[in-house]
Amino acid sequence: MQIKDIMSGQVISVTRSSTLRQLLKLFDKFHIFPLVPVIENDKRLIGIVSFRDLIDALSSYHPDVLKLVPFLDEEEIDIFKMDITDDIGNLVVVEDIMEREFISILEDTSLEEAYKLMRLHLKEEVPVTDKAGRLVGMVGVFDIIQAVFRQKGIIE
Amino acid sequence: MNTILGVGFILTTGLFSAKLIKRIKFPAVTAYLLLGILIGPSLFKLIPEGVLNSSGLISNVVLGIIAFGIGQNFSRYHLKKIGKPIIWISILEACGAWALVTLTFLFILRQPFYISLVFGAIASATAPAATVMVIREYRARGNFTDTLLGVVAIDDAWCLIIFAISLAISQAVYTHMMAASFLIKVFFNALLSIFGSFVLGAVLAIVLSLLYRFIRTQTELLIFTLGFIFLNIGLAIWLHLSVLLSSMFLGAILINAHRYSFKFFDALKCVDSPLFLLFFVLAGANLEISVLPKLGIISIAYLVFRVIGKVGGASLGAKISNAPENVRRYLGWGLVPQAGVALGVALIAKSDFPAVGEMIFTTIIATTVIYELIGPLCTKYALKKAGEI
Repeated sequence: MQIKDIMSGQVISVTRSSTLRQLLKLFDKFHIFPLVPVIENDKRLIGIVSFRDLIDALSSYHPDVLKLVPFLDEEEIDIFKMDITDDIGNLVVVEDIMEREFISILEDTSLEEAYKLMRLHLKEEVPVTDKAGRLVGMVGVFDIIQAVFRQKGIIE
Repeated sequence: MNTILGVGFILTTGLFSAKLIKRIKFPAVTAYLLLGILIGPSLFKLIPEGVLNSSGLISNVVLGIIAFGIGQNFSRYHLKKIGKPIIWISILEACGAWALVTLTFLFILRQPFYISLVFGAIASATAPAATVMVIREYRARGNFTDTLLGVVAIDDAWCLIIFAISLAISQAVYTHMMAASFLIKVFFNALLSIFGSFVLGAVLAIVLSLLYRFIRTQTELLIFTLGFIFLNIGLAIWLHLSVLLSSMFLGAILINAHRYSFKFFDALKCVDSPLFLLFFVLAGANLEISVLPKLGIISIAYLVFRVIGKVGGASLGAKISNAPENVRRYLGWGLVPQAGVALGVALIAKSDFPAVGEMIFTTIIATTVIYELIGPLCTKYALKKAGEI
């Protein structure tokens, strides 16, 4: 069995120019913030936004280049005391906070391979792409576990 | 005090002294160095012999990890993204400090050529952490800030290369001073060191990529990555190659060879902070206070001419690459701090030239403390003048 057989094909995604406000609105009714794929107009997957990135949006300047800096003091963030104005909702766009380096898997990956990868990188869910790098779905560890339960006949 | 008690004492006091110094807005590195000087053999003598003796071991490991991380700069994605100004500015500010400090030591302070060259090479390093701290604190944003961040991130890579070349030349000068075939030997030594380190890093990166498919969990990934970094450092020492260069090449080749290679670098984040802390405290502890008074003029010359070299070089680089006026005028002032890389390469110089090592190392620790204290102020001045805070 391959990932494309069990993934969810309908995915809420955003583009790099979506604003923080639009992004938050999308998940207004959810009680959790899922992993959100960021795609170009041609559906090519270029990044992801996780709830950690939302905190970074509150904190401050966070470009990729900081990852290259050794012994950088961790920034202490008190999200309750941040001095921010409400226009940040329109000023911050997805491109500012998205992660450009992320784990994704190909749709024809086997369930075993995918499970191994998610376990190694401690991911609960990952985006799924086709060979051209276009987003085709999302898959979570639970989907895989469910598939195993189904194979064993525990659920229909 | 036994060794383990000593390490425990350093880790806990280090942590809290860093917290303390952050309140007055100075980088943690400054706290670690000052703590080291304070509890080191020169003053309160609270660091046990066993820990002091392992300074060499810890610094090699830390340098390997730092250089491995610096290798990430050479990812295709990153290289494509950074523009001409960053490349020109970073190369010229590093070379500017190198050339100016070398010439100053050679002609004004009348130091031997090999010592001058080593000081020059150390001067090319900068410390991004202090600069980033100021940028974050004042929420600086804009083209100047982006360029500055790009420059501080990549210029330590140039420093490692400059240092490797300078060290090879200095060693050749030091040992073959009378030889007739001197120039060829110098050239050959430098080339061999760089090429050999590249081959070592490349071979290990390939082996690492091949074995990666057997890795199943995060714990295994951490052990695996650390293991390869140690193998690389150990082999570099054994083969008389450059630890810094081979680690940097290992990182650089890995980041391009493997799709999820950023995970190797992420895994290290769990272990590197306590090692860095130990490294800086021990560096501070190695400061010989008795030597300090003799180093007044040398330290002042180093402090002043390194900054002039950086500011001048950055300005020239900005001019060549047609960067905006504010970048041309003020960017160099954001490059004043020096820390880990400078101390690390100074340690290497110390062990390679035992006769003058004490003088080199003590000068670099003393100037590091001063630079880390004034560096944030210089960065703030630069950002303000550039109009981005």
